[in-house]
Amino acid sequence: MAIDREHKKRLFALASLPVLVVVAVLINAARNIDDYRHRIEADISKSDAALDYAGATWSLSQIRLIGDGRDTEVRFPGEMRLIIVRLSATAIEQIGEGWGQCEVGLVDGTGRRWLPLDVVLSHDISRDLAPADEPLDGCGITSLNPPAPGATTIVEEKFVVPESAVASLSLRLSVGPLRPAAIAFPLGLDHS
Amino acid sequence: MRHVMRILAIVFAALVLAALQSTTPPYAMLTGPIRTAGHQSDTVASATLSLAIEDISNARTIEYEHFGKAMKLETSGVWVVIDARLQAFRQTMPIRAATLVGASGRCYRQSERAAGAPDSLAAKTLQPGLPTTGIFIFELPEDETTDMTLVVSEQYDPQLQDEVSVKLDPLVAAPQDQLDLGLNGD
Repeated sequence: MAIDREHKKRLFALASLPVLVVVAVLINAARNIDDYRHRIEADISKSDAALDYAGATWSLSQIRLIGDGRDTEVRFPGEMRLIIVRLSATAIEQIGEGWGQCEVGLVDGTGRRWLPLDVVLSHDISRDLAPADEPLDGCGITSLNPPAPGATTIVEEKFVVPESAVASLSLRLSVGPLRPAAIAFPLGLDHS
Repeated sequence: MRHVMRILAIVFAALVLAALQSTTPPYAMLTGPIRTAGHQSDTVASATLSLAIEDISNARTIEYEHFGKAMKLETSGVWVVIDARLQAFRQTMPIRAATLVGASGRCYRQSERAAGAPDSLAAKTLQPGLPTTGIFIFELPEDETTDMTLVVSEQYDPQLQDEVSVKLDPLVAAPQDQLDLGLNGD
């Protein structure tokens, strides 16, 4: 009788192995999927006005298109254009580290994505355009020192884009803790 | 008889496990680069970038001006300067990794001695919709230039990212004594 019980225990232990392997794979897959979701922007809120996101109310405060000779006299070769975007963010709660891994990009209708210029080049351009003014920081640097509740900060990012894409561009912003949620503002630039 | 069956079962299980282990692809292969290959006369395009070779030069000495300072770089081997045209399709991307695989199979990364050369692609960032031209500069033994392949990717040792390689025509002409790359930083 005791031998029969021991035999059943061994069979049960053996039969549980495939189940445990499947459970382990599923748990690992779920973790990977969760990690992946925090790296993509899939749930996008779009508006022409203001949007609440990551403890602040965000809106576009200025857009400049440079390179075709209209905003400034500068003319860039071929299709190359420079877009400077300023975002206004008014904190509605304590942000703390809530803006960590902030990502900003311009996206066109086909899904192409343009990332901001690096800090050094961005500040060089700012000094060329307005020598008397202190260059504004981008989203990454601002995330280290976000505004206090009720205060407003301006975030500036610069992008190099082809002229043919200008009309369909939207600015997209997301932060690490809230991804895949993101916000988007159509730039509404008419390059004609 | 029961013991024999048990031993056979253990041996069978060991064989199955050994077979599984020996046929499992290594992790580095599973997560390695997504390769696209072509020839020098083609524009080689992957899902995220394309590469076209416009010209190749080789020289004993390269010269250029860097922030007003004349630079003259000599080598006991040969400088290989590749003019290329790159385009990103989906997203802004730097091209930090360019490797020249020589005739012996050895890999040569871009020369850091010539990092300040004008129009260097290592210092540029590709923007979708804006094709970019520039040069890759390599320093390698002359006997390596009989059979070369240029391998380009966003970063070295890419994982699940595109890697474009172009088989280059053998360099038949003898290296120039000097190659002037022009100005930079002005």
